[in-house]
Amino acid sequence: MRKDSAPRTGLLWFIIDIPRNIVIGLLKTYRKIISPLYGDVCRYFPSCSAYGLEAVTQHGVVKGAGLITWRILRCNPWSHGGVDHVPEGPRIWPEGKLPRIIVLNHPVIPDDEDAAESGRKELDH
Amino acid sequence: MNNFLDTILTPFTYVVSWVLWAFHELFTAIGMNADSGVTWTLSIIFLVLLIRTLLIPVFVKQIKSQRAMQALQPDLRKLQAKYKGKTDQLSRQAMVQEQQALFKKHKTNPLSSCLPLLVQMPFFFALFRVLNEASRASDDGRSIGALSAEHIRSFDGSTILGAPLSETFLGTINSGAINWAVIIVAVVMILAMTASQFFTQRQLMTKNMSQEALQGPFMQQQKMMLYILPLVFGIGGINFPIGVLIYWTASNLWTLGQQFWVIRNNPTPGSEAERELNARRAAKGLPPVGMKKEDADAAAAAAAEQRAKGQRHQPQRKNRRKKK
Repeated sequence: MRKDSAPRTGLLWFIIDIPRNIVIGLLKTYRKIISPLYGDVCRYFPSCSAYGLEAVTQHGVVKGAGLITWRILRCNPWSHGGVDHVPEGPRIWPEGKLPRIIVLNHPVIPDDEDAAESGRKELDH
Repeated sequence: MNNFLDTILTPFTYVVSWVLWAFHELFTAIGMNADSGVTWTLSIIFLVLLIRTLLIPVFVKQIKSQRAMQALQPDLRKLQAKYKGKTDQLSRQAMVQEQQALFKKHKTNPLSSCLPLLVQMPFFFALFRVLNEASRASDDGRSIGALSAEHIRSFDGSTILGAPLSETFLGTINSGAINWAVIIVAVVMILAMTASQFFTQRQLMTKNMSQEALQGPFMQQQKMMLYILPLVFGIGGINFPIGVLIYWTASNLWTLGQQFWVIRNNPTPGSEAERELNARRAAKGLPPVGMKKEDADAAAAAAAEQRAKGQRHQPQRKNRRKKK
């Protein structure tokens, strides 16, 4: 994926991003109010709504909608689920302005106990 | 937009109205009054029973994968130990990610996905549309889906405890001539609907969540939702026709019963319900779920030994302890 050379700021991007930001608002509201009603049911990480929110954040409404639809179709009792990340998009964000959903969807997995220990030993030498 | 939604809903409306019609014919054939609200109410309840019965295979599939989960217990415990005490949001996210990867590796997943819910939604909207349209269609002498104009007239005119099935709480308030039967029946149904929703949710939270999930960062939000959602549904309910309230309440009661059964027989590992299940099993002389008898005995013996050791407090040099 080719990355932008600069963050998308300014009036033009503000206008272009209006639909995207409206959908982000709707998805955030859904995640706050309706998601908790059903508890954890999703077979994937990130969950479908978290995936959708990141997809729209990274790719905008059109491509995002396609990605969400495909994901919801794949999330059914016959699929094995698992870890399924949003494909990387072209956008970049200023230092410290990375949207929270992207941070949450890509947590750093700490090493396992044994792996961590052997790592420490290597450092000692 | 409205037309687009109507087009999508049309086949569902047809199915829902046909099922209502079929049950209504059936109940009339066995001697019930065709124009009685009781007959129509029963038709709506049987529509719920039919939809939920058709969804049982999906539910059984889910139960089976929950059983398969027992094999993952050691791995899951290891994961829980790894993240013990790490309650910040990012650690929780990391844990969920590792858990999902583990499920995938073992080709089993205890979560239901949202499909069972998504499948029911168009039927619910279709029923809502049928019941909502009924009084207008009755005035115009129109049919809706498989229900003829005559059936619609019968449905629109039918009452339960004096409240028309197609009337809403808000509708009767705004009509100027308040029908108190509608107010009373609607309030009772809204209370039943929200109460069943509340108990389903609370049962899930108090009984079927692991210690880790209960300490997670989303817990506070979920606890708040437990009390806010009944309010939302209560307020939304004043807009629903009595028939929709009946459908929703019946559906909630089914969910409540189904969940009670699941929690009793297939509880989440590390939850209160699992402790209760293991206590019941112990009373019958059975080992805890997912453990073989010998393993359980060995674990109990080890625990007893540990306790005995704890009492003695023998001072020991480090190198000696290692040798043992």
